[in-house]
Amino acid sequence: MTVIWTQNGIVENDPWVSGAAEDPPKLLPLAEALEHAQDNAAFGVVLQPADDVRKLEPILDRIAIVALPFPVFSDGRGFSQAMLLRQRLGYTGELRAVGTVLLDQVPLMLRTGFDSFEVEHVPTIERLSKNRLPGIDLHYQPAADKAEATLGYSWRRTAILNG
Amino acid sequence: MYRYDEFDHAFVAARVSQFRDQVERRLSGEISEDAFKPLRLMNGVYLQLHAYMLRVAVPYGTLNSRQMRKLAHIARTYDRGYGHFTTRQNIQYNWPALSDVPAILEELAEVEMHSIQTSGNCIRNVTADHFAGAAADEVADPRPYAEILRQWSSVHPEFSYLPRKFKIAVIASGHDRAAIQTHDIGLQLKQDDQGRFGFAVWIGGGQGRTPLLAKKIKDFLPESDLLSYVTAIVRVYNLHGRRDNKYKARIKILVHETGVEELTREIDAEWAHIRDGELKLPEADIAAINAYFTPPELVDRAEGWGELAAWKKSDPGFADWVGRNVAPHRHPDYAMVTISLKPIGGIPGDASADQMDAVARLAEEYGHDEIRVTHEQNLVLPHVALADLEPLYRALLADGLATANAGLITDIIACPGLDYCALANARSIPVAQEISSRFGDPARQAEIGDLKIKISGCINACGHHHVGHIGILGVEKKGTELYQISLGGSGDENASIGQITGRGFGPDEITDAIETVVETYLASRSSADETFIECYRRIGAEPFKAALYNSEAEAA
Repeated sequence: MTVIWTQNGIVENDPWVSGAAEDPPKLLPLAEALEHAQDNAAFGVVLQPADDVRKLEPILDRIAIVALPFPVFSDGRGFSQAMLLRQRLGYTGELRAVGTVLLDQVPLMLRTGFDSFEVEHVPTIERLSKNRLPGIDLHYQPAADKAEATLGYSWRRTAILNG
Repeated sequence: MYRYDEFDHAFVAARVSQFRDQVERRLSGEISEDAFKPLRLMNGVYLQLHAYMLRVAVPYGTLNSRQMRKLAHIARTYDRGYGHFTTRQNIQYNWPALSDVPAILEELAEVEMHSIQTSGNCIRNVTADHFAGAAADEVADPRPYAEILRQWSSVHPEFSYLPRKFKIAVIASGHDRAAIQTHDIGLQLKQDDQGRFGFAVWIGGGQGRTPLLAKKIKDFLPESDLLSYVTAIVRVYNLHGRRDNKYKARIKILVHETGVEELTREIDAEWAHIRDGELKLPEADIAAINAYFTPPELVDRAEGWGELAAWKKSDPGFADWVGRNVAPHRHPDYAMVTISLKPIGGIPGDASADQMDAVARLAEEYGHDEIRVTHEQNLVLPHVALADLEPLYRALLADGLATANAGLITDIIACPGLDYCALANARSIPVAQEISSRFGDPARQAEIGDLKIKISGCINACGHHHVGHIGILGVEKKGTELYQISLGGSGDENASIGQITGRGFGPDEITDAIETVVETYLASRSSADETFIECYRRIGAEPFKAALYNSEAEAA
């Protein structure tokens, strides 16, 4: 079973998961999204790791959710795509990691700007539902998450991620 | 040297408990070995042929005595009484139990050490010139910048799942003692005509099955832009580096396939967006890190000059050692001492726990508490008064650490090879040992002069054979080990990739073949001053090939 998790917990009846409602809004691939940007309703986009996220710039205000897939856990392009979406394009909507999402990657994903996660691995769902993340709350570099400068070096940040 | 503050201590402690949690989940079966692999690798834990291996980071090769004693203690307590210093200035333990690793990491954290990012497809331990902060020829100490990069790259959220490993090296001298042109990013600290610091930047160097030298893409990057520019490089690599074939996944292939000019344009375009953002390094921050690297106070010890001359006259062994293993320090009354981990017939880079303790003691007594690990698998005491060289030498002699062979034919780099490594096709260590024994006579070594032999047990090239003056690559052919020879490689400021001579040699032939190469050089050199690499560059490969293969053609 696939579950959607955010820092507020497991999401019931997520509108973007296929089959969650009678006529669910689909996550559109990049080309279709660019085409459907004429429609009125907000829509979702699912990108591929090789897609250039900057192409979303002209339609960004119409997008309700961007899903970035991790076809295998070792394919880390989504981390840079997320950084560009958040920092370069200023995207503020939902950003979801889909595909192979490892528990130990979730803290890094949160830092690069993801805020929801599609998860299948049962022990991972268990840990997430208890909000027991395996991350490190001290950070040596700025990222896309909310960070506050500490005393010390200006590039060294700390973020209050896990509570 | 750098000292952890509260933040660093808390960070490393958090990293240890994170890893403890990961090990517990693995041992309970909650995560599979496949899912665990990248997690353990990012913390330096490999699964080798016979056991797990733990690789501990020695950032930019700098250690103090307390840290060296801890490394000795770990070797004694959790391993078989020795450790292996590597070509990336790290140390490896070959026999730890996985369940002991969290405890080892806790012990390391006590002395401000860790194993973070010593493996995995992330930004690895940043290396630097092993003579940094002492060499007479540097513009400034490059290590503060290596430390800034170490901090910035630690558990970097965007760059922890790169297409492949990513290695950065920093120097501050025209003489490259850190092989920066074989790194993913090579940085040379320099000063412009107004005295401002900045970097020449190279990208795309690497060895492995496609050896390529790095290309210079910036002649002078202002120091304040260091982190933003490196971020731009790694981001472009993360998005566009190949992920379809792990042998084509390093940035060197992206540089090669995209073209250095086009890729530089992409990097510069990315950089333009982030250059003036939060990664800009303020002068005050650079100064704060620099303050940690204030050199020790070296009082004048001019009496050493006269004493040294007298000691050399009375003891030829000491004179040899000074001639090979002692290099000029910025302070005229001091020297930089190389402690060879290449005893004749020994295993390159190995040190026993007792030897580590001895080095720690001698660093305290004679070396202002500083020790360096070199990429050539030796140790260095960077600040020794000339007046202390003789007692230091006596003490090193007693511990088997006074081999006078730095830079000579027996100062061999070798990877662990098939004796330990799961990737290897052939053994490296026995080949190194046999060559070392064959050429062990001090007079013969001196006659041959500067000559770097580097041995890898497989095409991954951890033994840097591509940049050896003489490189040896172990391959496996029809179930037997075969050794290919390459000639003319170099990892310094005049870097070059060695060329393969021809068919390989069996384990019982390789030492003879090396001897043939050496004899050909001795017979061909224009004078005793012409080194092997100079001679090779003048006469080319042909005379060597003829000597190696012609007798065979005649026989056939």
